Amino acid sequence: MAEFLQSLMAYWESFPADLRFVVIATMQILAVTICVILTVAFTTYFERKVIGSMQGRIGPNRVGPLGLLQPFADVIKLLIKEVVIPQKSNRFLFVIAPLLSIIPALATWAVIPLSDGFVIADINAGLLYVLALTSVGVYGVILAGWATNSKYAFLGAMRSAAQIVAYEIAMGFALVGVLMAAGSLNLGDITRAQAGGLSHWFILPLLPLFFVYFISGVAETNRAPFDVAEGESEIVAGFHVEYSGVAFAVFFLAEYANMVLISALTAIFFLGGWASPFEGWSFLGDDSLLRATSFFWLAAKISFFIFVFFWLRATFPRYRYDQIMRLGWKVFIPITIVWIAVEGVMAWLHVGPWARLAS
Amino acid sequence: MLHTILFYLFAAVLFIAALGVIFSRNPVHAVMFLVLAFFQSAVLWLLAEAEFLAIVLVLVYVGAVMVLFLFVVMMLDINVERVQGGLTRYAPLGLVVAVVMVFELVQIIWLRGQANTETLGFAATPEGYSNTKALGAILYTEHVYAFEIAAVILLLAIIAAITLTMRRRPGLKQQNISNQVAVSAKDRVRVVKMDAESNS
Amino acid sequence: MGRSPRMLQNYVPILIFLGVATGIGLVLLALGFLFGSGQKDAEKLSPYECGFEPFEDSRMKFDVRYYLVAILFIIFDLEIAFLFPWAVSLDSIGGFGLIAMAIFLTLLVVGFIYEWKKGALEWD
Repeated sequence: MAEFLQSLMAYWESFPADLRFVVIATMQILAVTICVILTVAFTTYFERKVIGSMQGRIGPNRVGPLGLLQPFADVIKLLIKEVVIPQKSNRFLFVIAPLLSIIPALATWAVIPLSDGFVIADINAGLLYVLALTSVGVYGVILAGWATNSKYAFLGAMRSAAQIVAYEIAMGFALVGVLMAAGSLNLGDITRAQAGGLSHWFILPLLPLFFVYFISGVAETNRAPFDVAEGESEIVAGFHVEYSGVAFAVFFLAEYANMVLISALTAIFFLGGWASPFEGWSFLGDDSLLRATSFFWLAAKISFFIFVFFWLRATFPRYRYDQIMRLGWKVFIPITIVWIAVEGVMAWLHVGPWARLAS
Repeated sequence: MLHTILFYLFAAVLFIAALGVIFSRNPVHAVMFLVLAFFQSAVLWLLAEAEFLAIVLVLVYVGAVMVLFLFVVMMLDINVERVQGGLTRYAPLGLVVAVVMVFELVQIIWLRGQANTETLGFAATPEGYSNTKALGAILYTEHVYAFEIAAVILLLAIIAAITLTMRRRPGLKQQNISNQVAVSAKDRVRVVKMDAESNS
Repeated sequence: MGRSPRMLQNYVPILIFLGVATGIGLVLLALGFLFGSGQKDAEKLSPYECGFEPFEDSRMKFDVRYYLVAILFIIFDLEIAFLFPWAVSLDSIGGFGLIAMAIFLTLLVVGFIYEWKKGALEWD
């Protein structure tokens, strides 16, 4: 057996280095993607359970133990449903639109550092890449609304486009604050800049930006209470009103993948990503698992933010559209600009994480 | 070698996408081809190691400018005949622009050839080099005037956009939130003390 | 792999990831069209509006306000693009860079206040 493995290894070594690199990268990518999709599947289950218990219901409990197989039942159901392409729609764009929303939602995971040293693409401009791909996500919504050729879908698409656009600016400005504190665009470096326990996390010095970023993230993903794009009581289901079966499932997957992504990004930018909150507690012992950095801390933080998504959904009624625009333009953008100015002054005075300014 | 193959591959897609922009009958398809073209140019810039510019190209052009284009194109009543009629009308102007651009391109390539510069590669970048940092280090110090002029131009753009497109429709009812918040109970509710009526 | 293997090599996985993501989307859609059952008829394929055949194309002219929002978005997006390299290189540009950005941001804020006062941010 060992001999066989050795010969296998030797065979593997005989490949050119570039090819090996590509094969390994592809394997990692597939692993991460499958994990993300599984997370999404169980996020839908988690959502129904959480909201169910908040409303005094049980939630899904029929398929499998505790209803745990519910997401798979849903997937199979959606797969065997008919995909209706309305007659007057633009067929090509109608099919392309879900693709355009799933690609950025998945591909952004390439730069997310899952634990210290594991990231698929360790690029310098990681944060820029994240922002660029998020801004591409709006195409899926706009094209779906336009290609459908239905008034509901079109209205939903326009609403959602204007909303995403407004909150993207608030998000960008909030990230400038993070960059000022971290001094790098690489997501791994941003996490490492927060090493050293709870008090070093950016959530403390950047508290207003944290709220702005997370709430903008909720608005960007078109989740309640900002879900006017699909407000079912007004425009039925908004931009995906005519999507059925698997085409709808892809939009659904993209929405939830974006939700998990926003949670992960918030954890990385403000809560130290993979870092342990007890890092500085020396009385726990030097090799305590609680103090070690690990993927599980990141996973815990992501789960918490996903929970907050559902909590918000179960708590708040839907915002009115003009109030959404007001919140984005007139509240969040001023807050972020003021906070950037505050950080600038603190950098001038060499306070806090901004002390590295050369004089 | 791989570098060259990738370059020609992406350049070819860029070329096809650009042709698609011109020849699509549906304006929305044309815009999508333009998006593809921007993506391909971003990859080409990446191959030239202009990391920051490549991603900002996607961020600004694909993420913002093309969204505006899509807004405009989507909401037009698309009349293909009329659009095609415009072709003959604007052809002379387009030709002039094309000739000027070709002239400029040839001149640049020719000058490069004359100057006999080392075109085989860029200087190797040191360990831990970040394209964005390097750009930032000179943009805000050496090129500070250009940077401030950019700010003035952006300010102008804000003002121009507002003066061109702002229309207030008369007679619209509006909600003034600060007024609403500033209201106190005694402005709205008056408690009147009344004696019980006596039955006479 | 070319001249600067390190930087470009970091981008190869991204290219592959974009390909994988596209592939997953395509496979899902293909599965749906493969397994999706059902017959099409005229009523099913008609646009979902109100029971009538729609009288006209549903793509309509929209309030100019949306264009204004899109234009303002482009401008602010550009400002963000200027802020990013600045925030990253804060430690090398020093106080001079800080003041340069202070002027830049002041101009931006002037524009923002103008926008606000003109009512370009109102939705009614």
